[in-house]
Amino acid sequence: MADVVFANVQKRFGSFTAVEGLDLDIRQGEFICLLGPSGCGKTTTLRMLAGLEFPSGGEIRIGERVVNDVAPGERDIAMVFQSYALYPHMSVGQNIAYPLKKRRVPKSERAEMVAKTAEMLQLTPLLHRKPKELSGGQQQRVALGRALVRDPKVFLLDEPLSNLDAKLRGHMRSELIELHQRLGRTMVYVTHDQLEAMTMADRIAVMEGGKLQQFAPPQEVYRAPANRFVAGFIGTPGMNIADGVLRADDGAWVFEAPGLSVAAGDLTAEAQAGPAAMGIRPEGLSIGAGPIKGEVQVVERTGHENIVIVRVGDGMRMTCRTAPDRIWKVGETVQMAVDAAQAHFFAEGPTGRRLNRAGATGALLHPELKEATS
Amino acid sequence: MTQPTKTLLERRYSMLGLLLIAPTVLVFCAVIVYPLVSAVYLSLFKIFTPTLEGSWVGLDNYRTLLAKGEFWTSLRNNLIWTVGTLSLQILFGVGMALVLHQNIWFRSLARSLILFPYFISTVVAVLVWKWLFNDLYGILNHLMMSAGLIAWPIDYLGSMPNAMISVILVGAWKYFPFVVIAVLARLQTIPEQLYEAARIDGAGPIARFFDVTLPQLRDVLVVIIMLRAIWDFKEFDLIFLLTGGGPVTSTQTLPLLVYKEAFALNQMGMASAYAVIMMLIMLVFMIVYIRRTRQEGS
Amino acid sequence: MLKKIVFNLFAWSIVLMVAFPLFWMLVTSVKPQFELFSRPPTILPQNFTLEHYWKLLSDTNFLGYFWNSVILSTTTTIVVVAIATVGSYSLVRFRYRGRETLAFLVLFTYLLPSVVLILPLYLMLVNLGLSNTITSLVIAYTTFALPYALWLLRSFMAGIPEDLESAALVDGASRLGAFWDVILPQLLPGIISTALFTFILSWNEYLYALVLVNSDDARPLTTGVMNMLISSFNIEWSLLMAASVMMSVPLIIAFAFLQSYLTRGFGAGGVKG
Repeated sequence: MADVVFANVQKRFGSFTAVEGLDLDIRQGEFICLLGPSGCGKTTTLRMLAGLEFPSGGEIRIGERVVNDVAPGERDIAMVFQSYALYPHMSVGQNIAYPLKKRRVPKSERAEMVAKTAEMLQLTPLLHRKPKELSGGQQQRVALGRALVRDPKVFLLDEPLSNLDAKLRGHMRSELIELHQRLGRTMVYVTHDQLEAMTMADRIAVMEGGKLQQFAPPQEVYRAPANRFVAGFIGTPGMNIADGVLRADDGAWVFEAPGLSVAAGDLTAEAQAGPAAMGIRPEGLSIGAGPIKGEVQVVERTGHENIVIVRVGDGMRMTCRTAPDRIWKVGETVQMAVDAAQAHFFAEGPTGRRLNRAGATGALLHPELKEATS
Repeated sequence: MTQPTKTLLERRYSMLGLLLIAPTVLVFCAVIVYPLVSAVYLSLFKIFTPTLEGSWVGLDNYRTLLAKGEFWTSLRNNLIWTVGTLSLQILFGVGMALVLHQNIWFRSLARSLILFPYFISTVVAVLVWKWLFNDLYGILNHLMMSAGLIAWPIDYLGSMPNAMISVILVGAWKYFPFVVIAVLARLQTIPEQLYEAARIDGAGPIARFFDVTLPQLRDVLVVIIMLRAIWDFKEFDLIFLLTGGGPVTSTQTLPLLVYKEAFALNQMGMASAYAVIMMLIMLVFMIVYIRRTRQEGS
Repeated sequence: MLKKIVFNLFAWSIVLMVAFPLFWMLVTSVKPQFELFSRPPTILPQNFTLEHYWKLLSDTNFLGYFWNSVILSTTTTIVVVAIATVGSYSLVRFRYRGRETLAFLVLFTYLLPSVVLILPLYLMLVNLGLSNTITSLVIAYTTFALPYALWLLRSFMAGIPEDLESAALVDGASRLGAFWDVILPQLLPGIISTALFTFILSWNEYLYALVLVNSDDARPLTTGVMNMLISSFNIEWSLLMAASVMMSVPLIIAFAFLQSYLTRGFGAGGVKG
């Protein structure tokens, strides 16, 4: 059952279009990440869902109710802000109690609920402190407490971890996952950090230029990116993308770029002969033997693997992930091979659609993805 | 492009916004917009102040005033006063700010003392200075005479060019703290690294001032100069109370002329014409200033 | 070290020179009349006396003027700050047509010279039968105090994170509820500072008081004290200096206790405009 629905939602600020024709169906209890670079419209989308921005067109529904005209406080949502937005003049306890107070929860009940929430988030000893006396991590938990205290239908989180240091962020990530499992509530989480999205989300909505690019589980977004933008955006180090041409050769497609030629096999009906692009993740490249000749430019050793950047053909650089036991030297001439089963092909343009047939790459053979795409 | 449809909630918020601004708009219309429009309207009449009876004269007032020597001398006085007092304010103000930015003893006390002239009433400032300027018993004449600078007491306010110089000096004394505060606030935001970098590059204190401090102050100085130019140009109290425009009309600026025309010569219509002309002159500064502020805002 | 001492002496001699007129005002006010005319002048009073203050309070209408000023400035401040607080909230946090124009108009009127408005205002207030009343001055003072207060509060308001209000809305507050619960407490320092500035501006105003009020019943301190100077045959400088000191007392109090607020307002309104 769909819990949150965006139906053809638009948002314009003057002549600038922040969100365009957005369709999203979020199931009850799902953890959704809105992911994209800054300015892609993800925060505007979340704020529209919260009722803090007003859609210029389309419809937003929360649990079957159209909420376009409903005030934020009546949408049965809770939100955690990037800046935490703790009320500076109120104590921690008062901050957590505020949503209850505004909903006229009786005082005695209020105290009990605050105590319970504080207990859960280990905030009990801090209840009488003011927000500015707390560390960043503690403030974060207070913001979370204020959202949790009244068990709303949907939780909205706007980059809640981006102000924390790396270690705390990792810790909070697992706490959030646990929290989501325990509460079973729908969560919509905005982030520009793909690691957060990949680790926490049930499904990721990748946005760019105000448009939804792909809405799928993390593994599918990684292994079967819907278009060139998603392919380039997801993954560290990023996918190697080579511009070239597609050519039909005896009914089979061949992709050709300076210095390489790959058999593309069976592509979708959208495929046309002419300019196109091929993407291959660093792990889809192997160094040692193969048809592609290049020169090693950079070697990054991380301990459990090596990242090798190789210059191919007329200056294109390809990033390659290799096992740590073989050390490549800078300047060395090497031969490389593309694992055609892991290659993606895209139509022309920055958001050119992926042309691989489902199942055509090895990545798509995972059973969990079959279920998600069906 | 079609007008995007607004949600009910958005319209409700807009209504609330309009409701909250309504008192402001009402008061603005009653005490600012209406008077402003009637000022222009009044300037087309000949009005006798005590009876407030008027007759339509069209643009006659403007023709008369532009042909009158008094308007041009007042405008000249106004410019001399503005340029004179403004340059002293800026010079003293920036210098004092640089001094107070250093770690001197009892810095906050020093700052309060410097600020005080700005906050006291012009009436108080004028009374005090009139007493300092007093020709027989004033401390200023006494100090100058005992220092051997002058042989006879000076008439500070009753003769020219002394009167203009005195007015300019008192104006500078009263208003330079504004510059001090504004510059001081800006100085505190200049990152220390800039000075360290300059020091490493071998810049001495003077080079550091011209290469680091001054460029950083440029923007705030432009704003201060425009703002103070506008305020100094329209200054009434200080000059009116110190010299009344005298001797004769040698320190009479446009605001004083408006007052005199309206309430001493009882020519309300003519006074309005002066006021409108004065506003048109100031409009140039105001537009420059407003455009600048808006640029910064966006 | 020596360099530091020399610099400090230099700095402080300038500071003392700037402050000298105020020091001299204080000293003159506690000297007996005859000591003013002694040559050479005494820097510190040899015969300390408060007779001028006593005379000021008992023989002149100073207290009347003082009271008028208190009522006038307080009323102006309350009216203006109340209107400007909700007005600036609307200007900063709401979207409607004409909002930008209005903000521009506020800045424009903030720079507008009083002498342009004073003639029509004079006519208007005479027609309303309000001349020679404190009310007329309150109305006149809003012409400069309201744009000023709006402009100041607008920049304070803009400094409050929008997220706070958003959070309150999501937590179930209405717009006005969020304003009351979250924005007002955050704006309080700005309101105090704006109120202080408005009070000082009103307290020091001279031109409108000169033109609009011609009776001791409604005359504030500025014109009242000036009248004492003009109307007396023999200028009693000690008395006038005592009046000046007394007139500055509220400012000194405001200044001493709330200096941090004052400079904050100065930064917000003065520099940014």
